[in-house]
This record gives sequence, structure tokens and C-alpha cells, in this order.
Amino acid sequence: MKAFLPALLLVLMAATASGGGFVLTTEASDVPDDDGGRIGLVWTVSPDLPVPDSIVVERMAPGGEWEHVGSVAPIDGRYTDSELENGTVYSYRLVPWLQGVPGEPGPVVSASPAVKWLHSGRIGMLVITVVLCTIILLYIEAGKRGKDLFVRRIAGLNAVEDAVGRATEMGRPVMYIPGIMDMDDIQTIASMVILGRVARKAAEYGSSLLVPTCRSVVMSVSQEVVKEAYLQTGRPDAFRREDITYLTDDQFGYAAGVDGMMVRQRPAAIFLLGTFYAESLILAETGKSVGAIQIAGTAMVSQIPFFIAACDYTLIGEELYAASAYLSREPRLLGSLKGQDAAKLVIMILIVLGVLGATAGHWWEPAGRVAEFLRFLTHVE
Amino acid sequence: MRLFLPLVITFICGIVMILHFFIPHRPISTIGDGLTDWYMIVASAAIFLGAANLVQVHVHRINTKARNWKYSPVVLIGFIAMMATGLLWGVEETLPFDYMFQTMIVPMGATMFSLLAFFVASAAFRAFRASNWRATLLLASAFIVMLGRVPIGGMIWKQIPIISEWMMQVPNMAGQRAVMIGAALGVVATSLRMIFGIERSYLGGAD
Amino acid sequence: MNWEIIGIWLGAVLTLMLYSFLYRDNPFYKFAEHLFVGMSAGYWVIYNIFNVLKPNFWDELTGAGDGSPDYFMIIPGIFGMFMLARLVPKIAGLSRMALAMIVGTGAGLSLVSTLQTNCLSQIEGTIMPLSGVGTMGFIDNLIVVVGVVCGLVYFFFSKPHEGLTGKAAGVGITILMVAFGASFGYTVMARISLLIGQAQFLLFDWLPTMGIHL
Repeated sequence: MKAFLPALLLVLMAATASGGGFVLTTEASDVPDDDGGRIGLVWTVSPDLPVPDSIVVERMAPGGEWEHVGSVAPIDGRYTDSELENGTVYSYRLVPWLQGVPGEPGPVVSASPAVKWLHSGRIGMLVITVVLCTIILLYIEAGKRGKDLFVRRIAGLNAVEDAVGRATEMGRPVMYIPGIMDMDDIQTIASMVILGRVARKAAEYGSSLLVPTCRSVVMSVSQEVVKEAYLQTGRPDAFRREDITYLTDDQFGYAAGVDGMMVRQRPAAIFLLGTFYAESLILAETGKSVGAIQIAGTAMVSQIPFFIAACDYTLIGEELYAASAYLSREPRLLGSLKGQDAAKLVIMILIVLGVLGATAGHWWEPAGRVAEFLRFLTHVE
Repeated sequence: MRLFLPLVITFICGIVMILHFFIPHRPISTIGDGLTDWYMIVASAAIFLGAANLVQVHVHRINTKARNWKYSPVVLIGFIAMMATGLLWGVEETLPFDYMFQTMIVPMGATMFSLLAFFVASAAFRAFRASNWRATLLLASAFIVMLGRVPIGGMIWKQIPIISEWMMQVPNMAGQRAVMIGAALGVVATSLRMIFGIERSYLGGAD
Repeated sequence: MNWEIIGIWLGAVLTLMLYSFLYRDNPFYKFAEHLFVGMSAGYWVIYNIFNVLKPNFWDELTGAGDGSPDYFMIIPGIFGMFMLARLVPKIAGLSRMALAMIVGTGAGLSLVSTLQTNCLSQIEGTIMPLSGVGTMGFIDNLIVVVGVVCGLVYFFFSKPHEGLTGKAAGVGITILMVAFGASFGYTVMARISLLIGQAQFLLFDWLPTMGIHL
């Protein structure tokens, strides 16, 4: 302990230093919030002295000699040295070179890389993530107890059965478009869950269900989901694998292909549920032109206006994720929905408290600190 | 039982990716980085499934003389042409693969994209038959913002571009934030249901 | 053979074929659509092989990249095989494991990234003062805060939209409609410019090949 404090003081002093040559100040420190093994150097240069060709970064080797680790431009800058050993002290200096001749080296600085267990810029987010996830999981558990939970009416989801029924009456197929992203996208996963419900309805009514997909994995999952739905409805014979096809990964190639399917097969009901980009309006307008009833749903904020303009019903943002609980009425899923509401309430309280704190902070400092704390909690690096 | 192992894999992968965000320490960081690369490889491998399905569907249509079967050879020829040129000669510039991409796929994609100009006009025209006051509000705000982004808007009334900019900065931001926050909570709930195996229909098993 | 002229003609003819869809479905559109689907599918297969699988998997596994083979790459290789097992009905069930990996990884990544950008950043931006910002600043900030809070109330599922909740939800959906309208209007001009781009290609690149200069 006696030797530790002076040693620590020496290291801290050595971490920043200044000199009189071209390289004025140099700082060395552990790169924060990483898995260790890295030291970052920051330096400033003199604006008055002649500019050299480059600055060479040198590190002291175990034998005491200086070794070249990198070259940088002769301006204020940063450099990261990596693949170092955690806990070992490394010393650096920056040497300006002009026409093959080294100039006066900059000051020697030292630092030691360390590894962190927790990212310091994400502690607030960790707290909020744990709180929100705990709330949602608790409500899912509560839902298991089978308590009857109220869910407000969502017009688009109420219309699912009517849409499938309409298609059956007209003798035309139902088309389900699960978006253009892959199975790692949460909207696509939510869409697959809804597909299962729609497929069940289609199986019950005896409607054919077309599912053109933009990704191979989504095609595979769609086939599994629809097949399972037909099995559960007791209509395995009615399942047609060839109705669930892969077109192309290309965004507009997919749009062209689906448009072609729409005008030729003339579905009576079209579901557009998932992640969409610019092709959303192409698909929705073409669907409108063939006279189909259209139910769309996406969390892509930029595409929602187009769906509202072109479709009969639109699920906005969170309503897409609520669909599976709404359609199945499964207690755990309803519990999850209630958990989302509770999480929303927490967020609303955070916002209101933050705004009140920021407003009152002009006159009463503690209130301002509340707002600052909430901003810290929600700030993520 | 057939779902047990996949559900365990989903759980482990999900938890590792969440922990990876907060814990920079090894081995979480190493496993997390690895998983991020690996799942991209696995998802890319699946494209061969899609390609096989595409070929199978169109060959079947030709064999059964299904409706519009005469266009299925076009799909297959286009597909085989790109595959063959890419595999035989490579993908560098000026080679046949790149030539076909630049002269055929790019213009076709741009053309489909440009169809939006027509569709947005038809969507706006239909939406002008507003059924309630909120729909009227939607197209009024669309109209003001549209006008504000073209020179004629400023010529009609010099405040239009300012109002248009204000609408994008204030009410638009408020609405978008509400949708984004709500959707984010939906993502959290759905992700938790996937990770903990509450939602498992994507595996084709019973719910 | 002037490949440039041939390329312009190919692009122009396919463009016109696709535009014919605006009139009605017809053999020209069907031809162009099917060609587009087939060619783009082939393009993406080749893209995945050369840009994803070869550099990230094969080169790493064999050490062709930096000289040292990474044998851990056998794991994604095996999962990739599991995914392709769908082609063989007897072992198609193996693909569930590959699917589980994709879904689990995607779910975990989405949870944290969406929470960071779509939730916490938005909350942080909404915590703003209503005093000391001038009259316009007060109005703007109030609209944003009220809009966000009432918009969130609109998305409440477990409470009926009645009474105070109903009024707040009403304010929320009103702000949402204004926001969607603004978003719609903002992108209209961008969509028109896409058409201008294609029109310029036809008028100033294609027509001159026939000696027609505008």
C-alpha cells in the first residue's frame, strides 16, 4: 500500500505530459468500455514550428529500446495501440520525422490497459432495460393465472375474419405479404405469428392463401406456420406448399413479382404486415386497383402514411406487435400486452417528471438535477 | 421434445446478444462478436433454399402447363444467365455479370421505384375524398408540407415554407416519437416472448 | 459491337415494358417482370456467395484471408447445413436449430438496439424545459411533450378510450394524423424526382441513339 500510492501518482503524472518540440502535449489512457488490450493516445502539435513529414508512434519494448508501432499525420490527432496485455504499463512517445531525420521526441507518457465488466455509458440503459423487461415478464406470468384482461378494439384486427370470409364468398384467394426483411427482424417475426392466425382462418373458411416472400428463411418459416395452421384446423389436405413461394431478395424485383401476382390472381383480401420500405405504396396501390380489402401493419414510421392512404385498415406501430395477443386471446400474450401498457406508463412518468424538472429547474436547482438525472439515465453511448 | 433444443438455442443466442451490449469483457464480447458474424452466414446460406424453390416452382409450372407458364422459362433463363456469368467469369466491373446488372437490373429497379410518382399521386387523389375531420387534417398537413418544399409555395405566401418546416420539426416529430416509443416496447415484448419460448409458432410447433 | 448502345437499348426497352403496367397487365409487363424476378434472384445468390459467404466464412475457415484458419467457423458451417437440410424431407427438422439461432440472435439484437435508438433517445430528446425558451419555444416544446404523451396514451390497449383517457387518446391520434400527413407530403417530391430521373434516361440517353435530340 505504501509503494502503491506513489506509483499510482507517477503513472497518473506520466499519463499526460507536455514538451517543447513539435509535439506539444501527449496523453495516454486506457480505451474505456472495451474488452481490454488497448491504449489510446491523444496529442497536440505546435503551430509555430516547421511541419515534419510524419509523426512516428514509438512504444518502449521490454528491453528498454523504443520500437516503431505506427505512423500518423503531423497534425493534432489520436492513435489506438491494440493487442496489449491488460494490467501492464506501457510507455509511448511521438517522434516527428523530416526528410528521413528524426526530430525532438515528444514527452513520454504511460498507461495501462484494463478490461471493464460493464459499459459505463450504458448503465442507465441497463437499469431501464431491467425495469421494463421485469414489468413485462411479471405481467406475462400474471396473465398465466388466466385473469380476464380487457383489450380495446383494434379495427384492423377485427376485420381479419371478415376479410377472409369475403375472399371465400368471392371465390378468390387471400394474399399475405410478410414484408421484405428476414427472420432476424422483429416485425417479420410478429408477421409470422399473425400469418398463423390468418392461415387458420383461411383453413376454416376453405380459402386459398398465397404467401409470396422476399427471403428464403421467411419462405421456410411461412411454409411451416401455414402447414401447422392447416393441421390444427383439421384440414391438412388443403395445405398447398406451392402457394408459399420465394420470389427474389431484390426489393423492387419482389414488388414487380407481387404486383404481377395481384393483377393475375386478383386476391379479394390482402394482408401487408411486416417491414416495408419504398415498395409499400406500389404494393398497396396495386392491391387497391384489383379491388381487394387491404389490412396493413408496420412499425416503419415513414411508410405508415402510405398505408393509411391506400389501405382499408392500418395497424400503426405497436398495434402490429399486439396483433398476435389480440387475435389469439391467449392469457400470457394478453398479459404481455398489459405489461407493454405498464411500461408505457413508466415512460410517460419519466417524460413528465423530466419536463417538470427541466422547467422548474430554472428556479429551483434540485428540480433541474432531477431532469439531468433522467437525461443521464436515458443517454446511451 | 423436438422443440426443446431449438428453444434453448434461441434463449442462449438472445441472452448473449443482450449481455454483449452491456458487458465488454471476454468471453461475452468474443461470443457476441462471433454470433453476429455467424448468424449472417447462416442466413445467407438460406438463399440456396430460395433459389431451389424458385427453380422448382417454375419447372413445375412448365411441366403442368399452368396459367402463364410461357413466362416461366424467362425467369429460369434470367436466373441461370446471372448465375452462370457470375460463377464462370466473376463479378468485377466490365465483366458480363456486371454488364447485365448495370444495363438490365438497375434500370428495371429504377423504373419500379419511379412508379411511386404515379402511385403517390393516385393515393393522394383518393385520400382527398376525406371521410372524417382527422383524414382532412392528414391531407391538409400533407398539402402544406408539399407546397412548402417547392418554389411556388413561397410565391403563394412567403410563410408557407416556414410553416411547412415548423410542421416537420414540431408536430411531425411528436407523432413520430410516440409511434417509435410504442413500437420499441412492442419489440421488447415480442423479443422477450421469443427468447423465453412463450411465442414459438415460428418453429412450426404447437403454441 | 457497341456494347454501350446495346446496354442503353436494353435498359430503355425494359423500362418501357415495366411502365406499360400503368395502363394494364400485358405480355410486355409479364415478360419484363419475370425477367426481373429471375435475374435479380440470380444476382443476389451470386452476391451472397462472393460478398458474404466467401470472405466471411470460406476464407476465414480455410485461412485464405490472413493465413490462419479459424476452425470455429465450422459452427456456422454446420448451422448453414442444418438450414439447407430443409431440402431433404427426412431431416428437414434440423433446420429449426438454424432458425432458432437466427431468431434468437435477431431478437436479442433488436431488443437492445431498438430500445436504445427508438425509445431511450426519444425520451431523452423529449425531456425539455417549458420555461426560459421564449414564447415560440414554449409552444413548440409543449406541443412535442403533449403530442408524445397523448400519442402514447392512444396506444394503450388495456384501457378503453373513454373519459380522460379517451380525450388524451383523441389528442394523440390528431397529432399522429398531422405527423403522418407531414411525412406523406415530405416524400412526395422525392418520389417525383425518381420519375424525372428515368424520364431523363429515356429522353437524353436513349433517344439520341436513334438520332433524336431534344
